[in-house]
Amino acid sequence: MMKEVIAFKNTKCECGHQNPVGTVLCEACGRPLEEQDRESNEVLEMRYDGMARRSQRANPNFIDRIWNFFSSVKIAVYMIILTLLGSMLGTIFPQENTFLNIDPSTYYKETYGTAGWIYYKLGLSHTYESWWFVLLLVMIGASLVICSLDRVLPLYKALTKQRILKHKQFLTRQRVVYQGPVELESKEWVEQASVHIKKRGYRVHTLDNALLAEKYRFSRWGPYVIHIGLIIFLLAVLARGLPGLHMDQHVAFPEGEIKHIPNTSYYLKNEKFTVEYYSEQDLPKEFQGKNKVLPKLFKTQATLYECTANCNDPSKQPTLKAVDHHNIEVNDPMDYKGLKAYQFDYDLTPVLRSVKPSLVDKKTGKDYGTFQLKIKDPERNYKVGPYSLELKEKYNDFGLDENGQPVTKTPNPNAPAFLFLIKGPNLPAEGVHYFYFPKQVDKERFQQDAINAKMNGGSVPLELDVKGMGNVDLSMSTTYLNIRVDKAMPFVWVGAAIVMLGLVLGFYWQHRRIWLRIDDGNLTLGAHTNKNWFGIRREIAAILRKMNLEVDEKSLDNGGNHS
Amino acid sequence: MSGLLNFSSNMFVVAFFLYCAAFILFAVAIMGRRWSNRDPESHRRKWGNIAFGVSSLGLVLELTYFFTRWAGGGHIPVSNMYEFMSFLSMMVMVAFTVVYLIYRKTILGLFAVPITIIIMAYAAVFPQEVQPLIPSLQSYWLKIHVTMAAAGESFFAIAFAAGFMYLLRTVNFSSTDKKDRRQQRWVEIVFFSIILVISFIITVFAFRAAGYESVFTQTKASGTAGQTTSVTQTVEYKLPPIVAPYHSKVESYQPFLGMTKPLFSAPSWMNGINAGRKFNTIIWTVISGIILYGILRLIARKPLGRAASPFLDGIDPDDLDEISYRAIAIGFPIFTLGALIFAMIWAQVAWGRFWGWDPKEVWALICWLFYSAYLHLRLSRGWQGRQSSWLSVLGFLVVMFTLVGVNLVIAGLHSYAGTN
Repeated sequence: MMKEVIAFKNTKCECGHQNPVGTVLCEACGRPLEEQDRESNEVLEMRYDGMARRSQRANPNFIDRIWNFFSSVKIAVYMIILTLLGSMLGTIFPQENTFLNIDPSTYYKETYGTAGWIYYKLGLSHTYESWWFVLLLVMIGASLVICSLDRVLPLYKALTKQRILKHKQFLTRQRVVYQGPVELESKEWVEQASVHIKKRGYRVHTLDNALLAEKYRFSRWGPYVIHIGLIIFLLAVLARGLPGLHMDQHVAFPEGEIKHIPNTSYYLKNEKFTVEYYSEQDLPKEFQGKNKVLPKLFKTQATLYECTANCNDPSKQPTLKAVDHHNIEVNDPMDYKGLKAYQFDYDLTPVLRSVKPSLVDKKTGKDYGTFQLKIKDPERNYKVGPYSLELKEKYNDFGLDENGQPVTKTPNPNAPAFLFLIKGPNLPAEGVHYFYFPKQVDKERFQQDAINAKMNGGSVPLELDVKGMGNVDLSMSTTYLNIRVDKAMPFVWVGAAIVMLGLVLGFYWQHRRIWLRIDDGNLTLGAHTNKNWFGIRREIAAILRKMNLEVDEKSLDNGGNHS
Repeated sequence: MSGLLNFSSNMFVVAFFLYCAAFILFAVAIMGRRWSNRDPESHRRKWGNIAFGVSSLGLVLELTYFFTRWAGGGHIPVSNMYEFMSFLSMMVMVAFTVVYLIYRKTILGLFAVPITIIIMAYAAVFPQEVQPLIPSLQSYWLKIHVTMAAAGESFFAIAFAAGFMYLLRTVNFSSTDKKDRRQQRWVEIVFFSIILVISFIITVFAFRAAGYESVFTQTKASGTAGQTTSVTQTVEYKLPPIVAPYHSKVESYQPFLGMTKPLFSAPSWMNGINAGRKFNTIIWTVISGIILYGILRLIARKPLGRAASPFLDGIDPDDLDEISYRAIAIGFPIFTLGALIFAMIWAQVAWGRFWGWDPKEVWALICWLFYSAYLHLRLSRGWQGRQSSWLSVLGFLVVMFTLVGVNLVIAGLHSYAGTN
């Protein structure tokens, strides 16, 4: 109770206006409220026009204390500096997400030695995902909100209820001041001056012998607009972490194949992948003859299909409908209803897709016919002439384990092998087992004939033979696309646009105000701007010149703080 | 090279010499104030106008270089280090011209024009051929993003010049007080850093003119025991090798001043093929920098800061402080738009993510955070003048590290921009 009384006493100005606690300059007449401040001749602190802010409450409670912490510009600067330093740390070694397939627990030690190991152990190999970095960003976000609210409301109040006639001390303690006698009668002088001031884009208000001129007030909202934009931006970035708003996949598409995009109802076919290089004559002379290759174009001709029926039934073929076609290039992704496909990488190693071998009698060379063998999804049974072939086993990447048993080493079709059980004329009733390697290199490397002879206790009278390259279907290349969905992006851009708007408002215009009053034929002029004091001094000198008062621009400077 | 490209490079050279002339004229305008039989103010105005005229002519020629190279090369010349650095030098001149037209401070030319000269000379260190664009650069965002970013950064360069001038004007160079001594020392360090850059450029050009070359090979074994494959790489030194690459063999060594073999090898942690060469360049830069600094000290017979401060006599330090702040205030929105927002849009189009924490992106963010901190600090009492001038000097260092250092030291997705 006692404190309130004191506060009450302190904040009542001699002009009769009752100011809230924390007010520096009277809200009405601008007179400094502190006794000591009134005796000083220093330039006034004009931030928020000396209004009280929420963060200046006399008895802060718990919530007030949090509010005060986040509303402090000093704290905000510390957080900016900490974020800056943290960001620097993250660029010392490449971050984990730069690599597609590494084991960070060993990679950093192997590549960068002890320093790399320490870097990894400190968690700096994923600096920007670490809890302390995200916490800093969230705290900056909180600071943006609270700093803005703490200041924008008092500022708004101060600027909407300005009094024209200000206390003389308020004028003489501005950073730009002019004092001197005037020849005309005071009211007439004010009227004439207001014409010249208006010409410079000011809105002018007069009251007898006093004048208030103001322009570009909107510039004061610039910083707050920037902060609103940044908050939207940060929220949008955080929202990308929510399920369903963000998808990011790295998918390989072999040429000519329709492939399902995981977790979507879409399929994408890489019709053709093209890579072009600059020819010798396109390169500068210094590069020619040096075997320098410079890529010119990566292009995937892609068709996007949407599944319309039988989508989640593995026993049935899904029904697909082509919905989009696009030539995907590096700066030109496919975009279908927010699903985007970006050219990322490629692999020019041919991949075997299917072969059409003939079943041939080894002795006579008689051809019983052919069948198509798909490498990826082979059928189980084939009928060739009088013979039946049953697929017993399939190996994508054939190899032998330490016991000599056939195994598949990787799921990639590097060395495909098929084990058939062949039944038919001139063969034992239980049939013969026949290993088939579609690739000629594998056939020789793994000695197909020897394996088959060993398995059946003697040479097999039949043979599978691909007669010519016409019976081989190869996918010439594989393209790697990044498939992305990012539903929060529009908000990211809106945030960025608002930030830009605020920056332009705040930095390319300045809020300028001129107060003047004439007392007994003496002019007192004070002026304030939030930036560019040079500009306002020049403007005022020009205005005074029109009123036949010759002043040096620099002499208007009253010194003091330059913010 | 086509005729147009030849013409373009000639324009570059002529612009360079015009800037040098403008620098001398600005010096005449400032120094000549104290010459006898003249009115200092009218002398400054007259010679200042001549100097500004010459620097503007230089800018016109550099713009001619830029547009003829664009026409002759078929794409905007900002796609490699030579092109980018020369573009940056041009934008520094544009920023200087804008700020000069606002404030009409002759002295600004004396400090801003050398920045352009140094950046231009640095650009010429890099290979100058027009290279065709790789797929990721084939986008109109190349034009928008790179030019805007450079424009913003060039205003930070002007802020650096004005901030440094403020320091030269206000630091008490005759005092032996501990605090003043510390300020003097830091001013001297800034001078020395600038001299290091200059001496790097001079060294490179001196040995290039002499056609110096030594070659090393480095064989690296990789793979597991028993089944090793070795890769042999060659590295050409254009500066006499004081330090050889780690674990390397001399292919050819052109003797220099009686030196017929490298004095020592790079330590094992510098095991990259180019790490030794870069280390060698740093050693040469430091040696020649110390020599150049020594010569300048001998001529001036006092610390360079004290020698330079009389140029700023009679200049209002508040004006310098304001110019520095204003340049940052003009440059900051442009930088935000060009180096961050347009960069994000392009990254979204090209790579499908607007932000990937690539080193170059992170350093652009660091620059932005730095200048944000600067702008917030200016709101507080006591952070105008001295402190904020130091920040504008430091800020430009951060900007230059982002543009050059990241490419040379860290690389990443933007590594195409760096060579050698």
